[in-house]
Amino acid sequence: MKLDYLHSSHFLITTKFESSLTASHSKVEFDFLVRGQFLRMPLSAHMDTEAISTEDVVEIEYVEKITAPEPEECMMHDDWIKKSKPDQILTGSYDKTARIWSVDGKAVMTVAGHLDVVKDATWVKRDGLTSLLLTASLDQTVLLWEWNSERNKVKARHCCRGHTGSVDTVSTDPTGSKFCSGSWDKMLKIWSAVPTDEADEVEEAADRPRKKQKTQQLSLTRTPLMTLSGHNEAVSSVLWSDAEEVCSASWDHTIRVWDVEAGAMKTTLTGSKVFNCISYSPLCRRLASGSTDRHIRLWDPRTKDGALVLLSLTSHTGWVTAVKWAPTHEHQLVSGSLDNLVKLWDTRSCKAPLYDLAAHEDKVFCVDWTESGLMLSGGADNKLYSYKYSPCRTDAGA
Amino acid sequence: MRWSVSGSSTRVQSFVRNAGTFPPLTTTPPPTPPVYSMLTTLFNINNKATEKDDDDLSDSEDSQFSGLEDSGSDSEDEESDVEEKSSDDVEEDDGSNDDQDKQRQQTKVKNNKNKKGATEGKQEKKGDEYEHDTSDEEDIRNTVGNIPMEWYKDFPHIGYDLDGKKIFKPIRNKDELDEFLDKMENPDYWRTVHDKQTGRDIVLSDEQVDLVNRLQRGQFGDINFNEYQPTVEFFSSDVMIHPVTNRPADKRSFIPSLIEKEKVSKLVHAIKMGWIKPRRVQADSKERYYDLWANEDSSILAKHRMHLPAPKLRLPGHEESYNPPPEYLFTEEEKALWEQQDPEDRKLPFIPKKFSSLRQVPAYSRFIHEKFERCLDLYLCPRQRKMRVNVNPEDLIPKLPKPKDLQPFPTTQSLVYRGHSGLVRSVSVSPSGQWLASGSDDGSVRFWEVCSSRCMKIVQVGGAVKSVAWNPNPALCLLAVAVDSTVLILSPSLGDKLVISSSERLLAGSQEENPSEGPQPVVWSETEGEELKEGIHLKIQHPKAVHQVTWHAKGDYLASVMPDHSSHLQVFIHQLSRRRSQNPFRKNKGLVQCVAFHPIRPFFFVATQRYVRIYNLVKQEMAKKLQANSKWISNIAVHPGGDHVICGSYDCKLSWFDLDLSTKPYKVLRHHKKAVRSVAFHKGYPLFASASDDGTVIVCHGTVYNDLLQNPLIVPVKVLRGHVITHDLGVLDVTFHPTQPWIFSSGADATIRLFT
Repeated sequence: MKLDYLHSSHFLITTKFESSLTASHSKVEFDFLVRGQFLRMPLSAHMDTEAISTEDVVEIEYVEKITAPEPEECMMHDDWIKKSKPDQILTGSYDKTARIWSVDGKAVMTVAGHLDVVKDATWVKRDGLTSLLLTASLDQTVLLWEWNSERNKVKARHCCRGHTGSVDTVSTDPTGSKFCSGSWDKMLKIWSAVPTDEADEVEEAADRPRKKQKTQQLSLTRTPLMTLSGHNEAVSSVLWSDAEEVCSASWDHTIRVWDVEAGAMKTTLTGSKVFNCISYSPLCRRLASGSTDRHIRLWDPRTKDGALVLLSLTSHTGWVTAVKWAPTHEHQLVSGSLDNLVKLWDTRSCKAPLYDLAAHEDKVFCVDWTESGLMLSGGADNKLYSYKYSPCRTDAGA
Repeated sequence: MRWSVSGSSTRVQSFVRNAGTFPPLTTTPPPTPPVYSMLTTLFNINNKATEKDDDDLSDSEDSQFSGLEDSGSDSEDEESDVEEKSSDDVEEDDGSNDDQDKQRQQTKVKNNKNKKGATEGKQEKKGDEYEHDTSDEEDIRNTVGNIPMEWYKDFPHIGYDLDGKKIFKPIRNKDELDEFLDKMENPDYWRTVHDKQTGRDIVLSDEQVDLVNRLQRGQFGDINFNEYQPTVEFFSSDVMIHPVTNRPADKRSFIPSLIEKEKVSKLVHAIKMGWIKPRRVQADSKERYYDLWANEDSSILAKHRMHLPAPKLRLPGHEESYNPPPEYLFTEEEKALWEQQDPEDRKLPFIPKKFSSLRQVPAYSRFIHEKFERCLDLYLCPRQRKMRVNVNPEDLIPKLPKPKDLQPFPTTQSLVYRGHSGLVRSVSVSPSGQWLASGSDDGSVRFWEVCSSRCMKIVQVGGAVKSVAWNPNPALCLLAVAVDSTVLILSPSLGDKLVISSSERLLAGSQEENPSEGPQPVVWSETEGEELKEGIHLKIQHPKAVHQVTWHAKGDYLASVMPDHSSHLQVFIHQLSRRRSQNPFRKNKGLVQCVAFHPIRPFFFVATQRYVRIYNLVKQEMAKKLQANSKWISNIAVHPGGDHVICGSYDCKLSWFDLDLSTKPYKVLRHHKKAVRSVAFHKGYPLFASASDDGTVIVCHGTVYNDLLQNPLIVPVKVLRGHVITHDLGVLDVTFHPTQPWIFSSGADATIRLFT
C-alpha cells in the first residue's frame, strides 16, 4: 500500500486516509512513516528535522498503530531475577535456582542444583515431553538439565566445568546441538549440548576439595569443545548469530564475532563503553547492544572495519542491561535498564521509544519475548512481568 | 642832530646836491624817529620821495624788502655822525636824539660781536644775492652794476647814482680805535651794518633785526606767513566732476600701436620658426608644503624598532563644521551631560554650534590651548614603544585540554549499593573488579557484586570497621579488615574456586611458624567456629585501635596504622605467609595518618600530619621527606608508576608530588570546599580522584609522562555529586575500579555509589 503523492498535497492525503479509515476500519489507529521515519511530531517540524524539502516526492507509509503492551502477569520470584527464557518461561535467579513458569504465570518447576547465583538460563531443545535446558551460574559451571514436562521432573544431565570465573551467559546454536558460554574469566567456551551418559575425562587435580566432588556426583562432568580467548575483560553476553558464528560482548568495550568452526575471531566491533548485552535479529541482520553509557546501538556484524554504529537509541537514563529483538518484527526491540524501565523501540523512530513500560520498581536485568508475543522482563524487585503485545494485524503495512 | 656843513666840503656839497629841495637842516629837524629820519635823509634823493615820506611817516611797509639797503645807508649815516662828533664835540642836543643816541650806544656795546657776525652774514648774503639777483630793485641808488666793489677801492666815490653823478664814499677815517670806541659806546653798533655799495653804515631797525633773526633761525621772513597752512589735495579720493585736465585723450591712447604690433608679429614669427622657445613652465617638482612625518615609517625608522610615529591630528569632521548637520548638534540632555563630564571623558572637546554664515563664527577660544597640547604631544611625549607586556588574563590560565578530550572518566552515577545502616568508612574492590567490599560503622563488612549492586555476603565483625583492603594479588582472595584494635583477614569465598581454596590454604598452612619469643605487641590468632564459617580466618590483635590497613602489591605484606601521639608503635608491617609482625620505626616522628606501599619498589610511605616520609625498606633508611604544605594530611595515594604521590588534607587541599621533581608539591588543587577525606589513583587510566566532606568526588585527569622533562598534566574533569551529607560528613572513601574508568565512593549516608 505504497502511496506516492506530491508532498505539497499532503492535506489531500490525510483526508483520503480519513475517508478510507472510516470506510474500512472502524477503530484502527495508524502510525505514519515518512521516508521510513515515524511521524512523531507535527509534519512541518518533522520535515525540518529530517531536512525534507517541500518540493520532493516523499514516500509515506502507514502502519497500524502498535498498541500499548499491557502488563499481564506478575510472577513473584524469591529473589532477583537474572535471566529469563521464553515460552514455558525459564528464569534464573539470585536464589541459586532456575524456575520454569507457564505462560499464564504459574511456577511449574524449580530447578535447583547450583551452588551459587544462577546467572543465565536458556532452553536448548524441546521435543515432546522432554526438554533440555541450560543454567549458568556464578559457581563457574553450566548445568544441562533435562526436564520432563509430563512427570514434571528435572534431572541434571551434565555439569560443564572449565570456566574459572562466574559463567554469565550461555547461548545455544540454532540447531540445539552446541552451546556457547561466556564467563568473567574472559573466555568463551563451546560445549556440546547433546546429553550423553558418559562423563568426559577430566583431569582431576588431586587436591580437589570435597565440595566439588559432591557436585560432580550430581551430574556427569562435561568439558568444553573449544575455548575462544581474545577478550580482555569479562564476557557479558554471547549469542549465536549463525550456524557457525558466535557473537560475544564484553566489558573490554568490544563485540567480537567468532567463527566456531575455525575457532578464530572474525571481526571486532569496538565501542567506547562496557557492553552489557547484545541481541541479534535474523530478520534485519543487525546486532543491538546495550552498554553502560545508556545507549542502545545497532551494528552490522558483517562489516569488516567494525567500527560502524548504524543507529543509536537513546532514552534510558541508566545502564542498559538487557536488549532483545522482537522475534517476529524486524524493527522492534525491547530493552531493559537500571533506571527501572523497559522500553519498546522501533528502529524507525530512533529519537524516542514507542513505549515505556514502567512496571518494575527496581533495576531491570532481563527482557525477552515469547513466541506467542509476550514481552517478559525481570528485575531486582523480584518480579517477572509479562506484557501482552499484539503484533499488528496488518503486519507492516508496506 | 645837526647836519653841519662844517665837515668836508665835498660831502656837504653832495648832501646839498642830493637834497637840494630840503629845507636847511639845521633849522628844524622833523620830529621823526631816528631811523625814519635817517631813511628820509637817505631817501631824500628825490623830492617825491621825501614828500612821500612826509605824507606817511609811520608807513614803512614798502621799505621792508629793501631793509638791507636801508641799513647800509643807515650805517653810512652813523659813520657820518661819528665823524661829526669826532669833528666837533659841542653840538646842540635834541632830547630825542640824545635818547636815541644813548640807546644806540647801549645796544651797540651789548651786541657788537653780534653785529660783526651779522655783517659778515650780510656780506655773504649780499654776495649771494648779487650772484643771481637782478638789478631791477627799486631802491638801487648805485647804478654801477653787479661788479665787485673792490674796483672802487681807490676811488673817492663808489659808483653812480641814477643821475649819473658820483656817489662819494663817506669820508672814512675811522681807525681801529674809533671802531673800538664806537663798539663800546654806540648802543646800535650791533645792529650797524656796512653797505658796501654805498660805503655807509646802516643801523638796522627792530623789524629788520627781527627779520634777520627769523631768517637765521630758518624761518620765513614774513611773520604772517603760515607755513603749515592746510594743503589742498589735488589728487584726492573724491571723484571730481571735472577732470584734472580738460585735455582730450590722445589718439594713440586708443589706436593699437603699430610698433607693438610689429614687435609682436616678429616674436610670433620667431616662435613659429623655433628661434625662440617659449619659456618653460617650471614643473612644481618641489612642493612648497610637505608632510613632515609622512615618510616616518619608512626604512630609516625601521631600524628603530621601538619608534612610534607621531600621533596625527584627527581631521575635522562634520561636528567641526560651522553649519553641521542637525544630528551633530547637541540636544539639551547631551549638552547637560557634556557639561557634567570631566574634560577627559568628553567625546568632543567642544560643543558643535551652528552659525548662519562663516563670518559669524567667533574665534575658537581653545585654539591656543589645543595647539599647546598638540605641541606637548609632539615634543614632550616619549615617542617610544613601552615594553609593557600586554597580557590577556585569560592567556595566563594554562591551556588545559578540554575534559571532553580526556575521556573516559566517570561522569554519571550508575549504581547505588544500599544496605549498610551506618556510615561506610571504607571500600575496596577486588583485583578482578567483580566484587566490592565495604566496611561500615554498623559493624559489618559487605560484599557486593559490582555489576548488579547485589550484596553477596555480609560478615558481622562486631565493631565499627575502619578500613577494608582487598588483597591485590589476583591469585589470592583475601580481605583485610580493621576493626577496633584488630585486623581481620577474611576470605570472602567469591570468585574462582581455585583461588579461594589456595588462599584458604595459605591462611591455614603457616600456623606452625609462629615464633613465641617474648611478649609481642601484636598477637596473631586463628579463629574457629562461627567466625571461621563467616570467613574470618585470622585475627591480628593490636595494642591500640587500628585505623588503616593496606596491602603490599604482592599481597604478602600488610601494613596497619595505629595513630598515637606518644608511642613509636604506630605502624606495623605484617607478613601473612609467616605470620610475623614488625614495627619498622623506632622513633615517633609524629602522628601517623596513613601509610602506603610503593607499588613496585621496596619503599614505604608514611604520612604524618605535615610530612610524607618515604622509607627504603631494604636499606632501612629514610629516602625522602615530602612537605605537604598543609596542616593535616588525611590520606595519600601512590601512582601505579610509583613516581607520584597525591596527598589529601583536611584543609581542603590535594597536593600532587612528583618524587623526581621536588619534595614540595608540584601542584596543589583546592577544589574542595571541605576536608578531603580520601584520594585514589586509577590503576590503568590516568585518573585520580579525591573525596571530600562536601559530598563531592572530584575526578581529575593526571597523565604522567615517561619523559622526565615533561610535567604531569593535571586537569580536573568532573565533580561527582550524589552523596548526601549526614552529620557534616560527605564522602569518606573513594576507590577506582581496577579495569574500568569507574569510581566507587562510600559516604556517610550509608551508601556506596558507582560512577561510570
